[in-house]
Amino acid sequence: MASAPDIERLYDNHAFALFAFLLNLLRHEADVQDVMQEIFVKLTKRPSLLADVRDERGFLLRLGHNLAIDLMRRRGTRERNYEELALQSSALFAESGDPDEQTFRQKLAQALAELPAEQRSVVHLKLWENMTFEAIADALEISPNTAASRYRYGIDKLRERLRPIYDEIQ
Amino acid sequence: MNDDFENHLRSQPMREVPPHWRSRILSAAQTEPRRPRWLEWLWPAPQAWAVLGAAWVLILAFYLATPDDPASGRSYAMTAESYGALEREQLMMAKLLGSSDEGEAPAAVPVAPKPRSERECKQLAG
Repeated sequence: MASAPDIERLYDNHAFALFAFLLNLLRHEADVQDVMQEIFVKLTKRPSLLADVRDERGFLLRLGHNLAIDLMRRRGTRERNYEELALQSSALFAESGDPDEQTFRQKLAQALAELPAEQRSVVHLKLWENMTFEAIADALEISPNTAASRYRYGIDKLRERLRPIYDEIQ
Repeated sequence: MNDDFENHLRSQPMREVPPHWRSRILSAAQTEPRRPRWLEWLWPAPQAWAVLGAAWVLILAFYLATPDDPASGRSYAMTAESYGALEREQLMMAKLLGSSDEGEAPAAVPVAPKPRSERECKQLAG
């Protein structure tokens, strides 16, 4: 199925979603590039991977998630110190011309960085990919109940952390 | 508050993919040779297949390297060639032994049946 033009189509349709998800998860641009490259190399080498896939986006996010988790284990990304994470977090969102919004985005990126990776993944897929808990569960290979509870925990932490600045800009 | 807050988060746009990544990633992907179909079939556990293959090669090598037991080979050959002679020899030995043992065999001592077996026999008969 995935011939050379298909790979380009896949990239054009899904690279943004993959990039945002992986950047939120890994917080390291070079790692994100490595994982994205690995995804597309895998798809080129083994076009049959996509043969019976109905939801391309979900499948690619799952592949990306698994590769990112492997990379984190190999490189001990979890052990990276918080300052480094916070510095890298500022690049997660697009820049805003409004200083209040820009500050909110930076705080949001930092707050996301403080969440455990499993909560961050679910929150990202729910908020920025607009996926259902069933689709998230399928992508992350967890149960829908686990996905829902991780989302709830994650959102509660974000709300608690961002409440002052959110109330200020409203 | 809940929905507003979540909607506010949702409205925050993520950064775009750096534009130069596209050519870099796609050219890296397209220079990779496509895996042959037979290799794809093995893919789910290539190491397991390799170990299994190596084990078979070792078994085969061990089988070929082990010399045949010469005694067993000769016995097979003898069976075919001198089966008749062996049979005659055995017959003669049996006659000799039979003649020397004649009359010396102890008489069979009648053994009284055990009570339990007797009971069982009665039950079966009844």
